[in-house]
Amino acid sequence: MKSGNLEIWRQGLWDNNPGLVQLLGLCPLLAVTGTAVNGLGLGLATLFVLVISNLAVSAMRGVIRPEIRIPVFVLVIATLVTVVDLVMQAWFSSLSQTLGIFIPLIVTNCTILGRAEAFASRRPIGDALVDGLAQGTGFAAVLIVLGAGRELIGHGTLMADAHLLLGDWAHTLEITFLPQQTGLLLAVLPPGAFIGLGLMVAARNRIIRSRAERTEAAAQTRPQAA
Amino acid sequence: MLKTLLTLGLIGLLAAALLSSVHLATRDRIASEQQRQALATLNQLVPESGYDNELIEDRFSAWISGLSSPSTIYRARMESEPVALLADVTTPDGYSGDIRLLVGIEPDGEVIGVRILEHRETPGLGDKIELKRTDWLRQFTGKSLGAPPAEAWAADRRGGAFDTLSSATITSAAVIEAVRNVLAWYSANRDNAFELEAQSSASSSGSEDKGKQ
Repeated sequence: MKSGNLEIWRQGLWDNNPGLVQLLGLCPLLAVTGTAVNGLGLGLATLFVLVISNLAVSAMRGVIRPEIRIPVFVLVIATLVTVVDLVMQAWFSSLSQTLGIFIPLIVTNCTILGRAEAFASRRPIGDALVDGLAQGTGFAAVLIVLGAGRELIGHGTLMADAHLLLGDWAHTLEITFLPQQTGLLLAVLPPGAFIGLGLMVAARNRIIRSRAERTEAAAQTRPQAA
Repeated sequence: MLKTLLTLGLIGLLAAALLSSVHLATRDRIASEQQRQALATLNQLVPESGYDNELIEDRFSAWISGLSSPSTIYRARMESEPVALLADVTTPDGYSGDIRLLVGIEPDGEVIGVRILEHRETPGLGDKIELKRTDWLRQFTGKSLGAPPAEAWAADRRGGAFDTLSSATITSAAVIEAVRNVLAWYSANRDNAFELEAQSSASSSGSEDKGKQ
């Protein structure tokens, strides 16, 4: 059981990361990652929806017949996203102002439908919970890294506007590296999102390949030594 | 088959019930939050100590030529004397669509200040109209339709008297023209702008927690 959970985490964070490997949910991923804080905000909202939707789908898996599973999943996800949107407007209104138009975008994130179909509808609730957390964290990590990279290159800052998400103390998190108006504009414009994500996917592939080469080399030397 | 249909219908009903209860639970709070935020924006131009009326409620809609959709006009008064007029207007002429801005005017027609409420201008170029990025927006303060004269209310890149943001001429011109249109409307309606009946949509929910917490 313990190792099963570990495997689910590995899948979500690295082996089968929704952003870098499955390349799912690109619409919100590319649209909001102009700054690290936007990435963090959407990442948390997506994580929340993903966990709850996994739990709901897993809990209902005995009742749902295969013919109606897709409409049911869509209904569950759309309901959850609307609830998150309303709750954010009511209790986190300043955050909802910056992220407002992106929250409904979570509906278009096929990661959530994908996990409901591929995982939660076949597994017990405990596994579905871990999978939601793992996949959500993996997605959020990609959002934050991409957002931070684009913000750093485009605006020369990091964690700007963090107070909108985390409260007033977060002003201290803001770091300015470059003076105003000297950033590379391309990074914050839409092409920057595609280029940035492409570089992240490439970096991941590079790491995997050099690791594979190393194990291969080790495998070749071993018989000689023996 | 029937059972499958029933399951789907039941789940749909459950979802609808959940949504309507969440809507009911959050409705008032969302309305008061929106009002609080609107007031906070208005207070950037007219400080809370500068008026004593219900600023949010003392409003009416007006069609201002050159601007899209009816604009909302708020009026600040101190002991029933006009203090300021705040116009929440939207111009369709931005580089990537609508720009929504708030223009504050003194009763004599002088600009108190301008704030950008919403826009989709290019990051790094057009978004310099935001006050948190540059001071460009401050150039309107103290100006009026006579000083500079109406024909000089244009971007200097186009022969006017106002600074143009480099690489954002269209954006700059849209904001300058929007402010000019508001001033032109005010000078034509100066006599009744503070007299008109308020048309606020009597939603009093949340008006008690006036001001920032």
